[in-house]
Amino acid sequence: MSKRISRSAFLKGAGALFWSLTSGNWLAGCSNKFSFPVRWLGPSMALGHAIRDRTLTPHKGKPEEKKTIYIIGGGIAGLSAGWWLKRNGFDDFQIFELEKNVGGNSSSGQNDVSKYPRGAHYVPIPNEESQYVREFFQEIGIIKGFAQDGKAIYDELYLCHDPQERLFKDGSFQEGLVPHKGLQSEDKKQTERFFKIIEELRSAKGLDGKPAFAIPVDLSSNDSKYKELDQISMTDWLLHNEFDSKPLLWYVEYCCKDDYGAIPDIVSAWAGLHYFAGRRGRAANGEHNTVVTWPEGNGFLVEKLREKLKNHLKTGEMVTQISNEEGGLKVSTQAGDSKKAYQCEYAIFASPRFLADYLVKDYPKNLPGSSKKKNSLTYSPWIVANITLSRIPPSRGVQPAWDNVSYYSESLGYVNATHQNISTRSSKTVITYYLPLSSFEPKAGRMKLYTDDQKKWLKHIIADLDKMHPDIQTYIKEVELWPWGHGMIRPSVGYVWGEERKLMQQNVGNIYFAHSDMSGISNFEEAQYQGIKAAGHIMDKLGHKPG
Amino acid sequence: MTYALLITVFVISTCGLVYELIAGTVASYLLGDSITQFSTVIGVYLFAMGIGSFFSKYIEKKLVFTFVQVELIVGLIGGISAALLFFLFEHVENFRILLYSLVSIIGILIGLEIPLLMRILKDKLEFKDLVSKIFTFDYVGALLASLLFPLVLVPHLGLVRSSMLFGLLNVTVGLWTIHIFRNELPWLNTLRATGASLVIILVGGFAFADKLTSMAEASSYPDSIIYSTSTPYQRIVITGGGKEIKLFLNGNLQFSSKDEYRYHEALIHPAMGSLKNPENILVLGGGDGMAVRELLKYPSVKNITLVDLDEQMTKIFRDQPAFSHLNDNSLSNPKVKVINADAFVWLRKNQNQFDFICVDFPDPSNFSLGKLYTDTFYAAVKRALKPDGLLVIQSTSPYYAKNSFWCVVNTLEAVGYKTLPYHAYVPSFGDWGYVLAGNKPVKLDFDYPTGLRYISAATMEPMLSFPKDMQPTVHCINKLNNQALVHLFEKEWGEYVETH
Ligand SMILES: Cc1cc2nc3c(=O)[nH]c(=O)nc-3n(C[C@H](O)[C@H](O)[C@H](O)COP(=O)(O)OP(=O)(O)OC[C@H]3O[C@@H](n4cnc5c(N)ncnc54)[C@H](O)[C@@H]3O)c2cc1C
Repeated sequence: MSKRISRSAFLKGAGALFWSLTSGNWLAGCSNKFSFPVRWLGPSMALGHAIRDRTLTPHKGKPEEKKTIYIIGGGIAGLSAGWWLKRNGFDDFQIFELEKNVGGNSSSGQNDVSKYPRGAHYVPIPNEESQYVREFFQEIGIIKGFAQDGKAIYDELYLCHDPQERLFKDGSFQEGLVPHKGLQSEDKKQTERFFKIIEELRSAKGLDGKPAFAIPVDLSSNDSKYKELDQISMTDWLLHNEFDSKPLLWYVEYCCKDDYGAIPDIVSAWAGLHYFAGRRGRAANGEHNTVVTWPEGNGFLVEKLREKLKNHLKTGEMVTQISNEEGGLKVSTQAGDSKKAYQCEYAIFASPRFLADYLVKDYPKNLPGSSKKKNSLTYSPWIVANITLSRIPPSRGVQPAWDNVSYYSESLGYVNATHQNISTRSSKTVITYYLPLSSFEPKAGRMKLYTDDQKKWLKHIIADLDKMHPDIQTYIKEVELWPWGHGMIRPSVGYVWGEERKLMQQNVGNIYFAHSDMSGISNFEEAQYQGIKAAGHIMDKLGHKPG
Repeated sequence: MTYALLITVFVISTCGLVYELIAGTVASYLLGDSITQFSTVIGVYLFAMGIGSFFSKYIEKKLVFTFVQVELIVGLIGGISAALLFFLFEHVENFRILLYSLVSIIGILIGLEIPLLMRILKDKLEFKDLVSKIFTFDYVGALLASLLFPLVLVPHLGLVRSSMLFGLLNVTVGLWTIHIFRNELPWLNTLRATGASLVIILVGGFAFADKLTSMAEASSYPDSIIYSTSTPYQRIVITGGGKEIKLFLNGNLQFSSKDEYRYHEALIHPAMGSLKNPENILVLGGGDGMAVRELLKYPSVKNITLVDLDEQMTKIFRDQPAFSHLNDNSLSNPKVKVINADAFVWLRKNQNQFDFICVDFPDPSNFSLGKLYTDTFYAAVKRALKPDGLLVIQSTSPYYAKNSFWCVVNTLEAVGYKTLPYHAYVPSFGDWGYVLAGNKPVKLDFDYPTGLRYISAATMEPMLSFPKDMQPTVHCINKLNNQALVHLFEKEWGEYVETH
């Protein structure tokens, strides 16, 4: 008799365990109302709709204003082009940005509790060769000077405060993101071997004397020994090198998703390794793997650029066509319902290239992004959630860090916006949760992003966070969801060192291009480099001497 | 009667599962890691049920009587279980022992219930019918509980109330059984009276659940609380037993009125006694006004700026006579300007320079506070210090946390200060450390006001010497991007707490 009883009790027990494991899903699944406000925002759909509905008609009339250069797009690339022009004493330009605010993928938001990023949130300590980043950082005081050994001294308010990262694994948080607790000795060995290879690649130089992996990408060695790595996927590279340790593979996958929003099966080995081996920056007053970051993420850098360029910005004005006309380039725009036209000698197209075919009249059929070509440009879709909390939920293991990641999640975890505050004695905070839709083919991911019920996304996100913090719901005060349909270019196998990307560097008449998608790797350094390169080309053409 | 008893099966099985869920949830709340907590709670609970079932065979007679007793006891213990766990969490050395004991007791009692009931019913039904009916009701009850718990109980009643409610149900089952078997049971009136008083207790607990929660706090302070409030920044609790008044911030002792004069004299006078006519003073932290009280003993002082984060704190110590008399009404003095702001943020905007700056923050026990002990912070302080000015910093105990103490010294030196560390004995705290610092090497002078009780030229000398057991074993500088001090502090105080 007692046997039966214990079985009945066992079922009860199992039920309770099941409940505890799935409660997040469950609680969320059962209530369709959330006790906190939820906003679904995202980049303006105006351009997308206009393209879809074929209402993109250029302004018929004559250009009303004239400038030497117009820049299309106020993301990091466009703003950096402007910064470079101005820094070199060239003033006759204007930037069009279709959104109300500049910044693009580096935009940020703000509420009563904190500023927070909506996309890009950090920049690693720049390398020696990342000259423009260093110049910019110096100009805005992030780099305060140089130590005797040449290492840059950073404003410590901006270096990521300690503790930088923690990983949730086996029921508690451990320090850092590389799994290191409770590993089998084989896992440990492989992890060590992996980092030894990385260490070698980090200092490796090609036959041409250039670093094997440089930032920006275009300063990397031409040596085929390294460029060949672009022909295989990161997964294949791991396989060739006999890496099969689960924790290590998890870490590599995490890193691919972090930088490219894609999994190692897709990302080329060159790009996958670049994430690790490309970062060689040294600070006089910080660890070598540190980053600079702010509550608003790279929105901080955007604001500095905006401030410097405030007389050159036309925001809320969408470019609908760039065409070659008599007397120069005609740039047609639309702000709300009002259409306008402008005239310039040169244009910098600082928007993602997949738009070029719609916006540049007679965009060559052979160039990437042309709708006549099989689509070779792929962009990873993302969803970013900014979640206001009454506090970071208590948890087992090490204390909350800037970056908080779960071993059991397909997301990248969350970054704590108030981590960099010097007034953090108030416990309220905003966390930024990053979810790349890397398990979908990008188009399918975008479909999901725009057609799935928004509540479903929220439930999904909360259920995921629940795995790290079982009671997270009780701390949530507010949520902002931000989808990025074309979040970042994917450095798929063959893209970084292939024909496509080479073609993308070409100008089309007097239209020069500048966007991080031309680097194959989407980050601040690349976007800035592309912007400056385009600005430099045009100044050369104009015969403008820096001054 | 048979059906009445079967409904009883249904109710008690619901109650049983609810207690288990409550214990698991409270444990997850308090200890974190819900998977571990639920697994262990369920394991212990099931095992205990097994024990209960096993021992049921030793109950030979008075089956109904025992069953009623079990119901009443389960009702009481299960009913107050959540409250008990919350209440005792702060007090017991090993919470897990309490948790698992409680779970075991409830489990054993629940394990007794069904075998007893089966035996009570055995003559009323055929065996196969009995087994089938009992388990049907048992399982359905379990389903009901597992649905009610997340959907209704936790969101609408909370854990304390839910457990009281189900305790009440158990007691009701007991009372009902008494009623059904009123002709067979001994001690009828005693049983009824016990049941009734349990009902009163549980209904009371249900009604006053909120009060219970705040009582739980009161019992964690040794003396009676005479003032308590939660501000956006911290929990302020002031206790007063006899003549001694103590201030706690977030549960940590800040001062005891009995010996705070030692702490505050040692904080202020070594620096002030060494300065020629100090006029402009800045106090960072120190919202209790005690440091300001000491400063006002110098007639040369013209103005004191006190920057404390917490408006509530400075208000209590300015406006409530019971507390403002402790600082001689220093915060209402016209020379004193109170600014409620975050010290780091305020300093970065500040344009003024001061003769003396007193930095009196809580110990660097978390990363937010650790930022107020960094080189970046001390560099900001430096900009606010006159060339000949002096700075003092309370810097934890050089005895309990010697490396932490010297880390503060190193950090100050790293941004160019010349330092003079010293320490004083404050009975409530132990041996306590301070660092005097300036742009030039610190020259002590002993120009103290009259009426001091602790500091004098004679006491200063031994305060400057650090015996061997207060010497550091590591050298580090505290930075925003390494938080070296918080790591050290956690380690050193952690070791101290472990061994005491
Ligand atoms: C979720 C996420 C996280 C990221 N995290 C990081 C990070 O931590 N660190 C990092 O360095 N990078 C990160 N990135 C990469 C980020 O994309 C780059 O840092 C950088 O912001 C790219 O800038 P861009 O100028 O190349 O492109 P965009 O940001 O795409 O800029 C293009 C701009 O052009 C505008 N535009 C488009 N069409 C028109 C038109 N017709 N008329 C006018 N304007 C137009 C757009 O509105 C936009 O502002 C992240 C990206 C995403 C999506």
